[in-house]
Amino acid sequence: MKKTAASAPSPAEPSPHQEHGDDNSLQPFFILHRAAPDKSDRKPSRRSVPSSPASPDKAVNSDDHDDCSGDLSREHLRMEAFQHAWSDIETAIQGVLQSIDSATFEAIHSWISESFSIIRTHVSSGFSEIAQSFPAAVDSVSRRLFTGLILTKNVELFDDLRTFEEVGRFLRSHGCHVANLSSMDFVAKNGIGGCITSLLRQFLATSVDAPDMLTLSSWYNNQVNNDTPIVLIIDDLERCCGSVLSDFILLLSEWVMKIPVILIIGVATTPDRLRSILQSEALQCLYPFKFNLGTLAERMDAVVEAILVKQSPGFFISHKVAVFMRNHFVNHGGTLSSFIRALKIACVQHFSMEPFSFVLRGLIEEEIQGSKHGALPKAIYNCASNISPCERNKMDEEAVQRLVPEIAQLRRLHFLWSIVVLCLYEAGKGDEFHVLDLLCEALDPEFYASRAPGSFTQETGHTKASSPNDCFTHQHKFTMRKNGFISQVMRKVRDLSESHLLSLLKRWERHTADIIEIHEKVKELQHMLKFENCQQVKKDSVEIAKIRGLQNKSNLGRDMKRVNDKASSFLAYLIEKYMQPIECVPSHEIVCFKNVKKLQMALVGDSRRQIQVDLLESHNILSCSCCRNDNILLSSMHDTSIMYSSCQEHGDLVNLHDWYQSFKRILLCPNSKKRHKLKQSPVSKKRKIVDDSEKLSEVVIQSRFCRGVAELQITGLLRMQSKRRPDFVQRVAFGL
Amino acid sequence: MAADGVDEGGEEEFGFSRNYFLAKESRGAGKKSACKVSDIDVVDEQELVAAMSEIKPKHEKEIAALRDGYRGSYSQWVFELRCGFGMLFYGFGSKKALLEDFASTALTDYSVVVVNGYLPSINIKQVVLGLAQVLWDLLKTKRKTPAASMSKMKEPSGSQSLDELILFLNGPWVEEKDLFICVVVHNIDGPGLRDSDTQQCLARVAACSHTRIIASIDHVNAPLLWDKKMVDTQFNWYWHHTPTFEPYKYEGMFFPLILAHGNTTQSAKTATIVLQSLTPNAQSVFRVLAEHQMAHPNEEGMPISSLYSTCRERFLVSSQVTLNSHLTEFKDHELVKMRKNPEGEECLHIPLPTEALEKLLKDIA
Repeated sequence: MKKTAASAPSPAEPSPHQEHGDDNSLQPFFILHRAAPDKSDRKPSRRSVPSSPASPDKAVNSDDHDDCSGDLSREHLRMEAFQHAWSDIETAIQGVLQSIDSATFEAIHSWISESFSIIRTHVSSGFSEIAQSFPAAVDSVSRRLFTGLILTKNVELFDDLRTFEEVGRFLRSHGCHVANLSSMDFVAKNGIGGCITSLLRQFLATSVDAPDMLTLSSWYNNQVNNDTPIVLIIDDLERCCGSVLSDFILLLSEWVMKIPVILIIGVATTPDRLRSILQSEALQCLYPFKFNLGTLAERMDAVVEAILVKQSPGFFISHKVAVFMRNHFVNHGGTLSSFIRALKIACVQHFSMEPFSFVLRGLIEEEIQGSKHGALPKAIYNCASNISPCERNKMDEEAVQRLVPEIAQLRRLHFLWSIVVLCLYEAGKGDEFHVLDLLCEALDPEFYASRAPGSFTQETGHTKASSPNDCFTHQHKFTMRKNGFISQVMRKVRDLSESHLLSLLKRWERHTADIIEIHEKVKELQHMLKFENCQQVKKDSVEIAKIRGLQNKSNLGRDMKRVNDKASSFLAYLIEKYMQPIECVPSHEIVCFKNVKKLQMALVGDSRRQIQVDLLESHNILSCSCCRNDNILLSSMHDTSIMYSSCQEHGDLVNLHDWYQSFKRILLCPNSKKRHKLKQSPVSKKRKIVDDSEKLSEVVIQSRFCRGVAELQITGLLRMQSKRRPDFVQRVAFGL
Repeated sequence: MAADGVDEGGEEEFGFSRNYFLAKESRGAGKKSACKVSDIDVVDEQELVAAMSEIKPKHEKEIAALRDGYRGSYSQWVFELRCGFGMLFYGFGSKKALLEDFASTALTDYSVVVVNGYLPSINIKQVVLGLAQVLWDLLKTKRKTPAASMSKMKEPSGSQSLDELILFLNGPWVEEKDLFICVVVHNIDGPGLRDSDTQQCLARVAACSHTRIIASIDHVNAPLLWDKKMVDTQFNWYWHHTPTFEPYKYEGMFFPLILAHGNTTQSAKTATIVLQSLTPNAQSVFRVLAEHQMAHPNEEGMPISSLYSTCRERFLVSSQVTLNSHLTEFKDHELVKMRKNPEGEECLHIPLPTEALEKLLKDIA
């Protein structure tokens, strides 16, 4: 261990780093400081946004606190608000993914139970053999290893790691002994010992010096519930070392009578891959069975639907953010994990930057509890007034008073919006139709603005259609994007067959259950459809079908069309009336994250480009007044910046001599501004003398040049000269 | 919209390739400069090193203002760290002082371990062991650590494997989410940490529940060190563009000076010193080699067999063994290099230009 400090440095004492600056900088690692024995002692007392009438008084008292404690408590509130919102989102994601996989999990479990009973039958028939400490000779049938192949159908397996953990948890909850192994356990370097060690570590919860199967066998026999199988989950077949995995399978198959092992292997490609990875001997031991997981598209749709469309308290994203996230998903490998990461960063940025975001949690709680709003504005005001001196002026109590109904209205409008989006999604479901695409269109404020002005007044409270059946004959007045998803859905509804339309209406009925007004209209549509149907049945019973068969068919088609058209018009009516994007609602900033640029910077830092921009535009970043001169390199500029800019004039090879000479020229040439001033100054002669004495010596220029080259080498923008070309260095980056 | 994104990407790629070929072309079309580094009147290396440490900094005020600006973001950074992200800082200039200032002012609630990734070699297991020991100390002093966890814990020691140490760091030993140690890694793309195994290990450490990573990168190709799994699920990077324009004082320490090291005059100087310390016979063998090279500048070098026969004729060596011992000495000091001539014979070559050789022979005469 290197230099350590006993406790956190106090401001009065120099920190251990300052004290031993140079020493520490040349140590591979060192402890900068240690945490205080119990940091919770120094934390501000836990305070949440007051939600009871008594709380505001506490908040009022907080005004007496100094700025520092105000800062801390505000940070604490923000963190609480973020954790609350994010844990809601995470729970929703987990729930959705679980529901997608639950059928597969159940199937796996019942297959495991069956396989285990087969193993047990073999055991009872060959008892004398397994009574030995090492069950050496068993026939090939009983040596079979039941293997469940889970086809993930996903290129990036790490998206499914969570699923494999879930399988493990599920099986454990059903009494199985489960160990999760990863491809890292099957590496050639560690051999078979690596995976057995990992196995034993998970079951025995201690590390074993000499890992062997006998230890596992005795552990299994000592278990109370040794009438359940041992399930080994290997998440990534493709990345495992083939020979190690083959040896492992052979070993397990020899022991399977004594230790009833069932394998579950994740396969990203196809089951045929087993043949190329495993040795034939090991392959013969396997008795495989296939299971399918939900596809990535299914998962994405379900996750987006659950967290971005359905109600999620406290955090929404704007149209531009949604479009950015979709493009990021499409262009950057398309993994669910990266999408969730992007969402988390957006959530963090929202709660850490939006001054009122953390207040909302209290509001929602208040609304749920159904208490009076009276006490709340004061509490919000108190929290909000702590935000910053400049914000404090903007925020008066009246403004906060206005906030409460606005937030309630915002939540209601968003709920209506989500119902329409869900109806659209239900109607459009099918190949190549994803909820994220629909979301991008439904969130577009321009689309909403394209509605004919005044077609619907800003709806408040109860809505009234001018006549009861207006919605079924409604002619939409918004501009649909050509080939946009919404226009596709409208077309699709018009062309749906009777049975499909009926099932769609049933699904609409489910989604609209909470809004009676829309719900009734959906029911009306259902009645219309059923009525048309009954009429057709009656006509059939008159048995005139033979005569007017052709005519009837066309009539039915026309009637059906009418209901389809009505459904389509109804959809247009819903879109026009209720699909108000969050950005078009007042005070949406409190809950809606809009800063795409910040999100992009945090999510995918463009280091390659930015480092070059830093060097080429150093004067902008340093915001100095002396170097502002477009296209001319001035001696006052940062040395490395001068060097990198001047090497842009060369081809891919930079002649060191020429480069040095140009650098020297720039350094020795005084700034044009300076020269100009000198001319005007009466003491110019005197200054000139001083200037000459300040003239840079060759040593200084060379040392600066060397440092510049070393710095460019650190950034990787230059490749050093080779023995073959000792006078040239090579440029690596061309253009930003 | 997605299509737009693709188009933009395509255009950008086209721009890159166009620039690349333009740069290549300009080398071919324009006259390649024939100037040599040796034309610069290079000062002595010692002097250069001394001058480097005394370079007058430029824009001190502006750089300080930049630093002060970042100080305003410290609370935001702590927030991100507590939300479970790893922080990655990039941009031109040394970020060593920035990260250490951030850690010592804003992360006082947490134990902070600093890894100097710019050093040429780092034993990653030692680092992980160090982290585990810091966590062990922390958990011991923590009042909230449950007794059940304490009984399960085993004090980390060097005899434990890397996996076990990482398992220990992952815990979770306490329910409190906010209990972690911060690992500041200067130059996570540095030469000592650049290999794939070390990066994998760092990624696993970063993913542990009781650690948070704060790292800096300087190399433009640093992101190529990580795959998607590492970036999205293990390091979980939150990128920060923080150019500081501060000199790479420590980071650049291990880079040779371009005008000194590798320079022919410098190599000749070193060669002279080495040769002067050798026996007169060894010096004479070298002279034979040098004379042959000067007489046949276009050849690959002197075949070992002909060197042996010449040296025997001149009574410089009595056997192949003696010659080999001299040659080993030369090779160890990089005075000679092995090459193969078109006939496949092993040849000896002195990696110095003719002028430097002449000077060298004069010096050892």
